[in-house]
Amino acid sequence: MLFRSRIVLPLAASFMLATMSAFASPPKSEEVAAVPVKTAPILESISKPQSTSTADHSMFKELQKNFKTGPEVTAACLICHTEAAKQVQHTKHWTWESKDAKTGQVRGKKNIINNYCTSPISNEKDCMACHAGYGWKDSTFDFSVEKNVDCLVCHDKTGTYRKLPGFAGHPVYERIEFPPKSGKFVEAVDLKKAAQSIGMPTRTNCGSCHFFGAGGNGAKHGDLDSSMQHPGKYLDVHMNEKGLNFSCTECHATKSHEVSGSRYNTSAAMTGPAHIRGKADASPAACQSCHGDKPHPEKYALLNQHTEKLACQTCHIPEYARDEVGTEASWDWSKATTMGPDGKPFARKDSAGRRAFDSKKGDWVWDSYVIPEYRWFNGESTYKVLGDKIDPNKTVQINEVGGSANDPASRIWPTKVHRGKQPYDKVNNYLTVQHTAGEDETALWHNYDWQKAIGAGMKAAGLPYSGEYGFISTEMTWPITHMVAPKEDALSCAQCHSKKGRLKDVEGVYMPARDSSKLLDIAGWTLVLLSLFGVLIHGGLRIYTSKKKG
Amino acid sequence: MVKVISGFFAGLVVFGLLVYSYAGSLMFREIPSPFGVEETVARIQQNIQNAGNGWSLSGLRNAAKPIEMAGGNVLPVLMIEACSTRYSGPILKEDSVRFLSNLMPCKISVYKKNDGKTYIGMMNSEFVGWLFGSMVGETMSHVAADQAKFVQFDASKPAPAMIKGMPGAATSGSGAGAAGGC
Repeated sequence: MLFRSRIVLPLAASFMLATMSAFASPPKSEEVAAVPVKTAPILESISKPQSTSTADHSMFKELQKNFKTGPEVTAACLICHTEAAKQVQHTKHWTWESKDAKTGQVRGKKNIINNYCTSPISNEKDCMACHAGYGWKDSTFDFSVEKNVDCLVCHDKTGTYRKLPGFAGHPVYERIEFPPKSGKFVEAVDLKKAAQSIGMPTRTNCGSCHFFGAGGNGAKHGDLDSSMQHPGKYLDVHMNEKGLNFSCTECHATKSHEVSGSRYNTSAAMTGPAHIRGKADASPAACQSCHGDKPHPEKYALLNQHTEKLACQTCHIPEYARDEVGTEASWDWSKATTMGPDGKPFARKDSAGRRAFDSKKGDWVWDSYVIPEYRWFNGESTYKVLGDKIDPNKTVQINEVGGSANDPASRIWPTKVHRGKQPYDKVNNYLTVQHTAGEDETALWHNYDWQKAIGAGMKAAGLPYSGEYGFISTEMTWPITHMVAPKEDALSCAQCHSKKGRLKDVEGVYMPARDSSKLLDIAGWTLVLLSLFGVLIHGGLRIYTSKKKG
Repeated sequence: MVKVISGFFAGLVVFGLLVYSYAGSLMFREIPSPFGVEETVARIQQNIQNAGNGWSLSGLRNAAKPIEMAGGNVLPVLMIEACSTRYSGPILKEDSVRFLSNLMPCKISVYKKNDGKTYIGMMNSEFVGWLFGSMVGETMSHVAADQAKFVQFDASKPAPAMIKGMPGAATSGSGAGAAGGC
């Protein structure tokens, strides 16, 4: 029994195990891999980033303060971003100056008297609502103070950061009724929240100034207004919120805070294939950067030939201000200071509810879905700057768009031409600077006295004033480049190739169906008539001879 | 005889060609406006409201909007809808011409063309009216006379505001959501 239990049973068990092992099939590789390993929860166990940025600024103790002013926020930003303010201080957004590399002429808002609000000089407290800085209230502003650079105007993402006229570029620190006596209130900005929210500029940031230039929604540019905040495909294929959804900086690529694509340095005729923006790119904002200079499929080779004479915008932006916002077509300052029947200042709106008259500012004419005016443009514009002489017998071109049909760097561009009537010095023959904004005795919008307003403005600008003023017609030309329509809505051939087509006034280029040669026409019609004559004679003779035979 | 018959048919063909060429312009009219689209609309609306004879605004439609919503572009087209119960009543009461209700309310369209100018388009009510008998013709001749006044503008008067709402819109019943007027 002992033998059986101690020797036979273990031997039998060993034999059975060995037999089972021998006949068992080897394990499949899948089965090996199926050995339970804890893989699934890894991503789930890691906390998700709060944003696409590499830093959550709400975590920084430097930004966890109850900031009282904008410069305090900037000082906190500069603790980490040590070079940011210096970079901004070298841009037009800070200096409001732009030097023409070829001529050396210094342009920019500070030096040009435009035909909208005219000049910021002596009106800084109001105009600097759109300056990327704090405290520019007069000519004493120190452009070297870094904490006066306004980081939040471009980087706030709360959408609550507002700068109003009258505060020299500071945001709203206390709840305020704006416009005064309107019953509407603007809430104070929460600077701590704004500082912790920061990110790359959005359409809201850029649009807070560029959509509202000249003091009104869409007033200035014509191709930029608040409708571009949430545009549909019809309005802009690139910025279409349900499509590509580009932000401004997608095209206006930025390097060291220098934003590319300025009207002072426009690339009017870029050539070459498409490439990735930012790679040694002279003009990343140009269409050609992404689309190349042969953007159409090969079967439309004829269209590609057009790029040698036409800017892309000419066909692909068939109209600008393609929305109900519209844009200003003209501004007549000579009607300012006109009072109502009761002798008091008044204002009137047009049929679409846009400003049409204001005793402070004069008359406006608005339009929407505007057909552009087309002209040759090589990217260079010459500006009238402070003190430049004008011819009082001619319409003053505040900027003269360069280029011609014979210039290989020129293309036909769509433009907005803004017509104005504005004051000038009748003796010295230059456009005047006027002190408009403010509550002091010389401000036009306070006492409605042109003489005092021009006197104060010219003094601030450092220009002699004769004491005699008049009003002169002026024009400003703005190349159109936003509001790119879907390709189906590009101009059709006949819209240009006809006698009364879009390009009827563009000179220097032969356009089939628009242009004709008298000599060639006479030769052609002579041939037609001779052929007809020949057919008639031939036919007549055959009838005559057949009758004679018959 | 052959010459007479062939001459008759040739005359018919010429007449047919003339009708084909000019029927469109006989039935519809287009006139340029000295104002922009919105101001033209606003001034016509004001004229309609001041016209008397039972005229009222039924609505203002933007025919370009649905195209924009679908991602396309067309130049602005606004359609002013107006109706006069004085003129619509007799037509709607008469079974034999009740189908003409599909022409109601009267529409005046204001649009921009590629030359950048604003135009007014409307039906030649008098001509169309006479195609449907004397009663309709008589009624529509009054409509045509009033329509002519709608597009007479006094530029010395300031531009009124455009009326965007749909006056008289029903809020319940079988006409819910539809504009009133006719």
